[in-house]
Amino acid sequence: METVDLSLFSLGLTFLLLVVPVLLSLIYRFALIGPLFYAVTRMSIQLILVGIFLKYLFLWNNTLVNLLWLTIMVVVAVFSAIRGSSIKISKVAIPAFASFFIANVGAILYINSVVIRLDNIFDAKYLIVLGGMLLGNSLRGNVVGITTFYKKIRSDSKKYLYVLSLGASHYEALLPYLRESVQLALKPTLASMATMGIVALPGMMTGVILGGASPEVAIKYQIMIMVAIVVSTITSVVLTILMTLRVCFNRYGVLRQDVFVDSKTSGRA
Amino acid sequence: MIEFNNIQLNFNGKKIIHNLSFTIAHGDKVVLLGKSGSGKSSLLSLLLGFIVPGQGEIIFDGLPVDKKSVWAIRKKIAYVDQAVSMGEGSVADFINFITQLNAVSAQRLNKGKIGELLNYFELGDDITEKEIKELSGGERQRVAIVIAIALGRNIFLLDEVTSSLDMHLKKKVADYFLAREEWTCLVISHDAEWLDSPAVKVFDVEEGRWRL
Repeated sequence: METVDLSLFSLGLTFLLLVVPVLLSLIYRFALIGPLFYAVTRMSIQLILVGIFLKYLFLWNNTLVNLLWLTIMVVVAVFSAIRGSSIKISKVAIPAFASFFIANVGAILYINSVVIRLDNIFDAKYLIVLGGMLLGNSLRGNVVGITTFYKKIRSDSKKYLYVLSLGASHYEALLPYLRESVQLALKPTLASMATMGIVALPGMMTGVILGGASPEVAIKYQIMIMVAIVVSTITSVVLTILMTLRVCFNRYGVLRQDVFVDSKTSGRA
Repeated sequence: MIEFNNIQLNFNGKKIIHNLSFTIAHGDKVVLLGKSGSGKSSLLSLLLGFIVPGQGEIIFDGLPVDKKSVWAIRKKIAYVDQAVSMGEGSVADFINFITQLNAVSAQRLNKGKIGELLNYFELGDDITEKEIKELSGGERQRVAIVIAIALGRNIFLLDEVTSSLDMHLKKKVADYFLAREEWTCLVISHDAEWLDSPAVKVFDVEEGRWRL
């Protein structure tokens, strides 16, 4: 089965659907027309450029270039995840990058080498596409995970210090916050897994079917990708939190205020 | 023995504590006195390593309080402050949480003792089932005092721990600590129940000297 290609005219007709949200916004004064058009335009331009870029990336299929592009994707994901929290990027960029890289690239290489058994595990088609799916989910998980972890300890500082004063190790004092953050970070992924196929057909599965594959193949790929997503999300959230502890806490176990964007210099020497 | 040697502490560029030195011997009951913002609570935080001095050092049993020693020092201290925070859940949940800490389980927190102490400090039998957020300030202070005592440690840092109690309970708490000769207590309080006791030594933090 061949995929029906869309002409530029046909693609343009898709935008006619936007009349509905525009009308709703006008009627109810949602003030969404500006943001909606900005988002749609930006998304379209980004995807067109990425489409052109991926076309040549797949044609060239050079291992070094593929890895370089994946690294750029990881860097962008790290910056987006940290920017979504209240921590200064300069303080945690390196540990966060290491966490994202280990968790996501590790999962992709496992999938490519052990599950799909590719001859070239750095094949652009798999490396970049799987990377995009895993990193997107890791990014969302980390925004929730890192934000919750540090925000909670900050707002709960009296209890945290009280637990330390009782003689708790740093690990013991942090564990309740780590648990809560990881659970919250995983919640959307677990919820979408629980309803997958019933409430919604996932994007990758739809794409594979539209690309001409049978539903059986699409389902196998979807199960594979969901397992990889949950593994890379939980691993990256845990690793990011653990690897940023060293820079965000002093050696006395006290949270440093100067790592936060809204920090006020305490002045305490 | 606890020694504060030439401590200097700055906050927002302002000197809070300037060249403060004093020593607390084993078994001493010391009340720190001074107006609000004079650095009394900061001295307790310094001992626990929650803040570090700009200058000077704190010696605890011959060891300087630093990033390595502080973890072991905290295991020898029981600290309670006036607005102690135990998070969410019931009192029993919090007690269960702390009993699982290695430092506490190694010292075998006496749960039977907790029951006795809760009764002694006039908290009802059902207090452990209560939600922490439902406790009054006085109840929370007494629960924290009970936990501190049940830890079985000999050094107590008590920061305004009787501020929300009535006179009868203030006296009961102060008398309990003052009667234990082997306990070393560093207390921040303006209550007569502490200050008027002949067992207490008073250190004026603002003036940096003992009051006779």
